[in-house]
Amino acid sequence: MTAPDRKVAASTVSLAAKPKGGAVLAWLADHRRVASDTATFVSQRILRSFLVWLMVGIALTLPGLLWIAQSNLQAFGGQWQGSAGLTVYMNVGARDSQVRDLALKLQEHSAVQRFVLTTPEEALDQLLTQSDDSQFLRGALAAIETNPLPASFSVVLEVDTSYLQLDALSRQLLALPGVDDVEIQSAWIERLRDLGDLANRVGGGLSVILLVAAVLVTFASVRLAIESKLAELRVLALVGATASQMRRPFLYFGASYGIGGGIMAILLIALFLNQIEAPLKSLLISYQVGVSLAGFTPSFLLAVVLAGWFLGIFGALLALSQRLGDLGNQTS
Amino acid sequence: MTFLQFEHVTRRFENGQEGLSDVSLAIDQGTMTFLTGHSGAGKSTLLKLLIGLESPTSGRVIVDGCDLKQLSAKQMPWYRRQIGIVLQDHNLLPDRTVFENVALPLRLSPMSAKDMRRRVRGALATVDLSDKGGLLPRHLSTGEQQRVGIARAVVTRPRIILADEPTGNLDPFLSRQVMALFHQFRDLGSTVLVASHDIDLIKDQGCRILHLSQGALVQDTARVDGGDVE
Repeated sequence: MTAPDRKVAASTVSLAAKPKGGAVLAWLADHRRVASDTATFVSQRILRSFLVWLMVGIALTLPGLLWIAQSNLQAFGGQWQGSAGLTVYMNVGARDSQVRDLALKLQEHSAVQRFVLTTPEEALDQLLTQSDDSQFLRGALAAIETNPLPASFSVVLEVDTSYLQLDALSRQLLALPGVDDVEIQSAWIERLRDLGDLANRVGGGLSVILLVAAVLVTFASVRLAIESKLAELRVLALVGATASQMRRPFLYFGASYGIGGGIMAILLIALFLNQIEAPLKSLLISYQVGVSLAGFTPSFLLAVVLAGWFLGIFGALLALSQRLGDLGNQTS
Repeated sequence: MTFLQFEHVTRRFENGQEGLSDVSLAIDQGTMTFLTGHSGAGKSTLLKLLIGLESPTSGRVIVDGCDLKQLSAKQMPWYRRQIGIVLQDHNLLPDRTVFENVALPLRLSPMSAKDMRRRVRGALATVDLSDKGGLLPRHLSTGEQQRVGIARAVVTRPRIILADEPTGNLDPFLSRQVMALFHQFRDLGSTVLVASHDIDLIKDQGCRILHLSQGALVQDTARVDGGDVE
């Protein structure tokens, strides 16, 4: 054996003083080392890590999808807000003066944002244009000689118009001479909104449950990691590791599980949207609504990953508070 | 100069048993002292009090003029970095190489990789294990594992070395080698306190011996009256 190549630390050093120099560099070096150790730990248990990512990812997917659904419904609702309103049908053969009076009335009404008059001739042109067999229709119309279509007004109301105001206006218009019928176009939108609200509430509750599940998954995984490293932690406690140095690896584990889960959630959401986009577009086109799926933006992706990171850290902190609290008082 | 001091220290456990009973002693800096006694005599309790793993029920444990009770939980790790601890069961990490085991305490402090390698190689050379750095602990003999534990304890150049039954698993030859190492560290200025029940080994070391029995200090060879403590 050779002689020790060292001198004992100077006795002037205070008993429990932190070293003054290089604290930031040491902190950074420790983070680099812990990040590297975490990558090794996770890659050595890749199947288990994958399952944790998948579980956290599934738990994050529903809230993510709900958010996307909500933002799309808002956009969808916004489009319908513009077209929601009334369609006023005049009697067939209504006089021009009656049509003008109604137009004047609509122009003066505060709840009306704009309106479009479709004359009987324009209505007939539209009908013929949209018909698959316009020749047959043209022949049939020629046989009855007169235009059977009435003039109509498409009325767009102000955005803040309530359903009650809409109903009152419809009654007023229906009472005017020459008006045959008034159709309110927003009733089904109201129902859709109600359904949307209900879905949001149910989904919100489920999201909370799933987010708690994500925290518990991370908690259990970090707890297992702590158990597997207890021997090392005991040694580290003996040789003077600070509480933050002992916690750091497990916070990294939690963060890696959370971020991995976030990425997994993004993949699952993308897959889901990819599957529903075509049939949804087809459905919306049938309602003459040109909405493309919104919400799957870079900021949304970042938010999902950050949410995963936060949940992972939270789960890790829970596991640490439960298991590491008394480690400093254990020897072996 | 007194470095480690116990002032009427009593450590009573939750079941009412006393691990230490009214122990007072003083140990000078740069000395090597043995702590003897049967199992349950209080040797490990005394060491735990010095490490800060336990607190005295009454009395004071003073290290370098500082009452350990005054240290906060945040300060305790910094204090422990000045202690090298050698345990009978080594506490080596089985999945880390010898080099990594010895480097473990150095990872806690700001140090370049180059310095760390130099310090670990130095510690391994001191315990004559220079060529075993890349091996896992299971590939070493018990004696070699104990020497790795010693290398890990001294790699931080501690001011205090506390050893709890460091030769418990070793044959007489290896035990003498380990004692020789402790003498070397003592000569370099460390204060060494070794708990052992191997009377034959320690009586040849020419060091102060503190004998504990049922938690009480019953004999101190440094006393002028022949060692018996009232």
